[in-house]
Amino acid sequence: MKNLSATPPKKPFNSLPVWFSLWIALLWLIVFDLDISLQMLLYGLDDMAEYFSRYAEPDFSDLPRYLHLMMQTIATALWGTLIALVFAFLLAPFAARNLTPNKVTYRLAREVLNFLRALPDLLLALIFVAALGLGPLPGALALGVHTAGFLGKFFAESLERVDKGVIEAIQATGASRSQVVMYAGWPSILREAIGYTLYIVDRNVRMASVLGLVGAGGIGLALHDTLRFFKYGESAALIVVILTVILAFDYFSTWMRGKLT
Amino acid sequence: MKYLPLCWPTRNGLPPLALVISFAVVFGALAWAAPIAEINPLRLIASVPRLLSFIGNILVMPDAQYFPELFRKMLETLEMAMLATSIALAISLPLGFLAAKNTSPHPAVFHFMRTLLSFMRALPELVWALVFVSAVGLGPLPGVMALAFVTVGFMGKFFAESIEVVDAKPIEGVEAHGAGWLQVRTFAYLPQAMPDFIGSTLYILEHNLRAAAILGLVGAGGVGYDMVMAMRLFDYDRILSIALGIYLIVALLDRLSSHFRSRVI
Amino acid sequence: MTSISLHNVTKQFGNGFHALRGVTADFTPGTLTAIIGPSGAGKSTMIRMINGLEFPTNGQVKVEDRVVNRSNLKEIRGDVGIIFQHYNLVSRLAVMTNTLTGRLKHRSWLGSMLYLFRKNDMDLAFQALDRVGLLDRAWDRADRLSGGQQQRVGIARALAQAPRILLADEPVASLDPVTSEEIMQILREICDRDGITVIVNLHQVDLARRFASRVIGLNAGKIVFDGHPDALDQSTLDRIYHNHTEKEIRNEIPAPMLADA
Repeated sequence: MKNLSATPPKKPFNSLPVWFSLWIALLWLIVFDLDISLQMLLYGLDDMAEYFSRYAEPDFSDLPRYLHLMMQTIATALWGTLIALVFAFLLAPFAARNLTPNKVTYRLAREVLNFLRALPDLLLALIFVAALGLGPLPGALALGVHTAGFLGKFFAESLERVDKGVIEAIQATGASRSQVVMYAGWPSILREAIGYTLYIVDRNVRMASVLGLVGAGGIGLALHDTLRFFKYGESAALIVVILTVILAFDYFSTWMRGKLT
Repeated sequence: MKYLPLCWPTRNGLPPLALVISFAVVFGALAWAAPIAEINPLRLIASVPRLLSFIGNILVMPDAQYFPELFRKMLETLEMAMLATSIALAISLPLGFLAAKNTSPHPAVFHFMRTLLSFMRALPELVWALVFVSAVGLGPLPGVMALAFVTVGFMGKFFAESIEVVDAKPIEGVEAHGAGWLQVRTFAYLPQAMPDFIGSTLYILEHNLRAAAILGLVGAGGVGYDMVMAMRLFDYDRILSIALGIYLIVALLDRLSSHFRSRVI
Repeated sequence: MTSISLHNVTKQFGNGFHALRGVTADFTPGTLTAIIGPSGAGKSTMIRMINGLEFPTNGQVKVEDRVVNRSNLKEIRGDVGIIFQHYNLVSRLAVMTNTLTGRLKHRSWLGSMLYLFRKNDMDLAFQALDRVGLLDRAWDRADRLSGGQQQRVGIARALAQAPRILLADEPVASLDPVTSEEIMQILREICDRDGITVIVNLHQVDLARRFASRVIGLNAGKIVFDGHPDALDQSTLDRIYHNHTEKEIRNEIPAPMLADA
């Protein structure tokens, strides 16, 4: 090397390859622990080609019933979202650092929202079915309670981003806390709030189709039954119906959210 | 201007038209849905005592003998989520590039990939789990497959969107030096899209943990099966233990991911 | 009766910064006082003490013989209007609705939650908008207006409270000279016609000279001048705007020049 004016600094230790190798090692351990073997998968893949061919001819003979069940799914999702909206509307201002009355209510509201989010809707659906019996109502409740956690957190985070000055200005007129929330808070985040709500409606339609598996509404249960009795044609038809409706809703809600921005 | 004693702050004193229409639409939809979803406030109120007694039953001392098995099941759930997310990550990276308008080799490829990803995330994991169980049998394998499949749908989309909002200048810089197709993507697009993408991955991992917890319902591994059996057999202390176990792991992951997020992003 | 009185008010912020050091001042009702001084002198802090947006670390602030503390905050704020440098309007609400927020203290909880106002609220709001010359823009969205117009809406909002005191925290700092004139004219007119006590924070000395009947000069948290605007000669201005060190402030500044308040 030519004469340099000083010794070049040592190349800093790049930890990336180390982390990456550790990660791969971890994954290998997991595969071992879960007793998954590549062989099993490969055999499975081979079978699977044949297996999926059984779904090639969807049987739509029971279509009216499937559509009714799908309507039930959407209805469940709508009411679930409403319940979530009500809870979130009431809780979010307490979970927002800038609008909450004191630290205690803030922490409490945040933990409640976290707790609601953590419980899987299916577990909640199981509990509500045990308490209310079968049918879509427990499903709507389960969805409502669980997504209240998400919606509440989204709303609270949006409210925290509202311009401090605007909030001060309303406070300075002698308005009460709830008036400040209603006039400086919600109007400032209306667009975002609607966007989040549409996202949750979308998500709830997806989840509602599955809650039927625990007896909380129709179409999931129908699919479980057809699969259990190896009725592939009907299963295929059900999947097509579910897929179409979910995709349609997805498209609609994305379009609506696009119109908001 | 004539106003009734109480009015809204609009020219004519009535609520704004857009608001009225939105309310009417929403109200109409809910009214249509109510009988179908069997919304019945009376039934709800009548069920409160049963709900309360149920909750009262659950709040008992958990059976410590169950803990080792619960721990194993929770670990299995966590492992399923991590494995599925990692596999999905590996697959989504290249797919994301193909599904982003600015890095896709051809518009036809772009549209095809986007539709494919849309299809992959449309159905909930549980539906795919049902199908895969039917195909490869019970156990965590179909669960991991179902999770990975749906996750690719979401990750691919997130990743594609992160790539699409990348700043053009550094890209031009790298290209101007004669970098090849793959090199441009690795050294110009990837570093910019990374922070966003890491954020999405953490969020997806949290979600997959919850999803993995319920896949056991259909026999696809994880603690879901125990959950359903406990409900059916009225094994109340187990229900509490399982719920707490899930809550603890999700909360832990939540803390870890916010900590990691603040350090990396 | 003194309208406002600050007695030996000190304010120290969490990071150790002393914003105000022993400020004492009394304000006669129906006067327009301008507070001038360099950035960081404590002008904003002093004004914000009056309606409880800040609280003193030591000393006392009284508004119409009521001590300002957390328990009577809403009471006092009902009588004190304030306008801000960045206007602090709720962007997506209409000009009229923004003005009406000045009436929130007088509204019932349920009515205000539903955005319902009484006829006399509407009348007061219209009158306020008329006084600032924006009646024709009553139904436009607040963020569609120019800076000067938005500030006028801010004034209308304050007027709708029917306050006895009006605070203005750097009201013209973001406006061009012509618009600044207009705003100061409005403030002067409000003071003269309605007998409202007006206190304005300014860094434009010539506006202070022309519109105020009393000027208070703040520097590094201390009052270094309190008197008639005519007494603002160059040496006084130097004293007000000079950068003092901590030591100088404590030892060398002569006692403030007090004229007939």
